[in-house]
Amino acid sequence: MELFECSAADLARAVREGAHSVAEIVEVHLGRMDRLEPVLSAIVTPLKDEARARAAALDIALARGENPGPLTGVPVIVKDNFCTRRIRTTCSSRMLENWIPPYDATVVSYLERAGAVLIGKANMDEFAMGSSTEHSAFFTTSNPWDPSRVPGGSSGGSAASCAAGYAPLTFGSDTGGSIRQPAAFCGIYGFKPTYGMVSRYGVVPFASSLDQIGPFARTLEDLLLAMEVIAEADEKDATCSRALRPDFRKALDVTDLKGKRVGLVREFEGYDIDGPIVDALARARAALLDAGATVVDVSLPTVSHGLACYYIIAPAEASSNLARFDGVRYGLSAEADSLIDLYHRTRKAGFGPEVKRRLLTGTYVLSSGYYDAYYNKALKVVAILRDEFARAFGEADVILAPTTPTLPFRKGENIGDPIKMYMSDLFTLPANMAGLPALSLNGGYSDGLPVGIQLIGPRWGEMEIFSAAAVLEKALGAPRLAGGDL
Amino acid sequence: MAVGEKEVRHVAQLARLEVDDGEVAALVEHFNTILGHFERLKEVDTSSVADVLDNAVVTPWRDDEVRIWENRDEALAQAPDRDGDYFRVPQILEEA
Repeated sequence: MELFECSAADLARAVREGAHSVAEIVEVHLGRMDRLEPVLSAIVTPLKDEARARAAALDIALARGENPGPLTGVPVIVKDNFCTRRIRTTCSSRMLENWIPPYDATVVSYLERAGAVLIGKANMDEFAMGSSTEHSAFFTTSNPWDPSRVPGGSSGGSAASCAAGYAPLTFGSDTGGSIRQPAAFCGIYGFKPTYGMVSRYGVVPFASSLDQIGPFARTLEDLLLAMEVIAEADEKDATCSRALRPDFRKALDVTDLKGKRVGLVREFEGYDIDGPIVDALARARAALLDAGATVVDVSLPTVSHGLACYYIIAPAEASSNLARFDGVRYGLSAEADSLIDLYHRTRKAGFGPEVKRRLLTGTYVLSSGYYDAYYNKALKVVAILRDEFARAFGEADVILAPTTPTLPFRKGENIGDPIKMYMSDLFTLPANMAGLPALSLNGGYSDGLPVGIQLIGPRWGEMEIFSAAAVLEKALGAPRLAGGDL
Repeated sequence: MAVGEKEVRHVAQLARLEVDDGEVAALVEHFNTILGHFERLKEVDTSSVADVLDNAVVTPWRDDEVRIWENRDEALAQAPDRDGDYFRVPQILEEA
């Protein structure tokens, strides 16, 4: 078995036991990146020198008998909207192409504290707006299962690089599905925690009431290990809970689900869903029943309005958050004689078409005369949806649902039709609007493409999801490494 | 309700975002498509929902105390145009 096929848990164990040096592990993963990157284009900024220097420092610490942390020697990659001190952070936008943050995101500090080695910053849709990475201002990432297809988005580079073995753990942000949809398209785990579980400090905001940070992994154990490192209180994010987090890895011991109720959402039955996804859901349902769970119908009557609410609320918040890009303090700055021209020209030159569409939509729904009809109305509909979820979780412990309506689509297939692209988030964005944790996991393969399915839990119900996932991994198997024939 | 070129240009002005004449037609079409989808929200009866939403997330307070931030020079180094410790911007007020 090659080192790049190993799990993070196995790599950390090998380092602790002295079987491999950190330098050796990092070199193998950089080699894997070098070999596949010409095909995949998953990385905006590779960090080879930084990673080698960090590996050498960790090897010295280990030789002195220190144990730097539970991820010591594990290569990791973060989406390029995570601020990294002295390392450029672009959000895959011309606006921030040369921006060097003066501080680290909290999650980056926590990973560093745990002994992880950052080896690259991953490509994404510009400012996390998109479902394919085709809205990156730099290049489109390829799906490692079929390079003619997209890896999903917006965290497409993180998903593709984890699936293909650049690193066993990668990280992304999820505002409407931006971790789970690419995880499904790349055949790995991708988890959006409960709103407030993980600090967002230092991750460039998109829609602050919806954004969460989460991990990608190829084994459930790795995913939970990553959660134990990143899910901690942080005074720098006021929405980040101060409560103690559970020992997530305890879920790995779960072998049966006796007494647990798995909910199927009645309203999702009516949607047009690709056959292999329907089949994967049936396999998962059978495995959960085998483990002793019961299956119940739950109802979310308002869920069909989720897409409209999302495309009001997220652009509205984005139009406010991205007002900071004014050409004055950092980032791109256009030539101008007046301040107003500086704003207009900087933003015209710095933002791509999808970001512009969303900023304009967001400005419109917040503008005088439309605020109540659109923005306020959407917030109220979301309040109803939250109540419906709360009722559903009175009847079910966890919900089983598709992650996406389709298998990975081809590059160019949806780029000309923004609304069709938005449909890719249909089943993921309700969890963001209700602040719920949700996991995409691999439910099998169809003609060489991975098939994703989703588990949604109640607020702070991470352990319900992970318990069901533990049973499913035993029954259906862990994700396979992608990129074998590239 | 249909959105036209005038509204799109007005919103672009509010968003401080210059749009080319060539972009406007596509934006008008996008606006009308997406607003058409938003219209369906009118079907949902929200009369029972209060205006103040989401008390579930209570954000904590902290003392407003001055702290030294050591990375100040790194932040200033990112200024497109600076004058010592100041960001320089084009003149806003006319000279008297």
